[in-house]
Amino acid sequence: MRSALPPSFLALVAVLALVRPAPAAAQLPGIAVERRLAGELSLRVGDTLRLGAAPDSMRGVGVVAAIYEPRPDPAQITKQDRYVRMHLPDLARLLGAPDRVDRFGVALRPGIAPDSAAARLDRSAFGYQAYPSAAIASESSQTFLVVSRFHRAIAVITIVASAVFLLCVMLLKVEERRMDAAVMRFVGVRRRTIFGALLLEAAVIAVLGSAVGTALALAAGAATNAYYRRFFHTALTFSLITPGIVGFSVALSLALGLVAGAAAAWRLVRTRPMVLWGRG
Amino acid sequence: MTPTLIARDLRKDYPMNGETVHALRGVSLRVDSGDYAAIVGPSGSGKSTLLQLLGGIDTPTAGAVELSGTRLDALSDRELTRLRLTRLGFVFQRFHLLPVLTARENVELPMAEAGVRGPERRVRARELLDYVGLAQRENHRATQLSGGEMQRVAIARALANRPAVVLADEPTGELDAATGREILDLFLRLNRDGTTLVVVTHDDRLAAEAGRVIHMLDGAIRD
Repeated sequence: MRSALPPSFLALVAVLALVRPAPAAAQLPGIAVERRLAGELSLRVGDTLRLGAAPDSMRGVGVVAAIYEPRPDPAQITKQDRYVRMHLPDLARLLGAPDRVDRFGVALRPGIAPDSAAARLDRSAFGYQAYPSAAIASESSQTFLVVSRFHRAIAVITIVASAVFLLCVMLLKVEERRMDAAVMRFVGVRRRTIFGALLLEAAVIAVLGSAVGTALALAAGAATNAYYRRFFHTALTFSLITPGIVGFSVALSLALGLVAGAAAAWRLVRTRPMVLWGRG
Repeated sequence: MTPTLIARDLRKDYPMNGETVHALRGVSLRVDSGDYAAIVGPSGSGKSTLLQLLGGIDTPTAGAVELSGTRLDALSDRELTRLRLTRLGFVFQRFHLLPVLTARENVELPMAEAGVRGPERRVRARELLDYVGLAQRENHRATQLSGGEMQRVAIARALANRPAVVLADEPTGELDAATGREILDLFLRLNRDGTTLVVVTHDDRLAAEAGRVIHMLDGAIRD
């Protein structure tokens, strides 16, 4: 028999203690144990546990009927809580309060508005407080909204910095081409042709840059996911690069590239060829 | 002979450090069809400035240039650009090929700009590269060519649109003696085949082989 678990290992309500082997497992209430808890306690299906609402009241006994993988939840990954699942009568018996319930869920028929249903439930009995699931989700995801806004701010700063960088690259590239542009003008190439060529070059640079950026982002995202999945023992996706994000970034970089290229090319073609040649 | 290029009392002044530099002081010149004229003179004598004015690259302070009866100062920027494309060929001291293009593509560039269709300009570019002895190098980028080869490509480019005159500014200036000799031979052959050439040079050999030598000093012709 193993010692009782520390309070931080409290499951939903139960405290567990392992008894092995099981004397008469078939008659005992079955419980499902979360994979991580089972791993930490080296539990297997068929193991018998002592159960209780507190470490000093281990009155119940149950048998591990299943080990389950909980649904990944971003709100839970940093917490040390571990869970077991029991049939409601077994839980009520264990708690010694068969007529008490803290909370319960109500499934609505299709077409019924959650807000009006919640308001009606609130009016129906004193002491009830009903919440639509969307409100609970919104309340519990405030942290993620802040993080999301923070990411958005970083993205905006990155885009602005990239735009400045792209403009500088284009200006430098155009500066390198002053002599070429002068020669092209001398041999009769029109301003429009030079402008178009530089614009095309800017577009190619922008698309190639966004392709490289996408590849880097995918690699960094994969590394981030691999690291944090292992760190938090979860299947959650921490970095997600969707086709929409890729499309948006390519379109944005193309637009920025074209603007930067047009600005740089316009500056070049407006300059007299003799000035470009260095004799003006 | 039919005059191809006429310069009348060309003057060119530059402001420099608050003073006016007289680069050209009234130069008049006539180049006939089929001529091979070499413009020689010390540095700063105005040779290159004269060539730039003859080619419509720069505008004179006073005077006029006429190419095959067309006064360059009467043309708009667009018309002048078109004239440079179709009626003039330029060869520069430092070749100035586009490095990202192959030899053939560099030769095709003026033809593409002139609206010559792809198959036709490819045939013409190959003919010209064959003429300058670079048929085997047509697919090499400019950066993969030697100085002499680049200058021959530049000459082929200058000939692309069958210009009335080819203007060359120190075409052997960046080349060693042996390679320069090849370019001189090429110019001679070009002229024998009917191309009108005006060449600015310090190269005595080139001047000696030209049909006509124009000596410049202090912005004026001295002979």
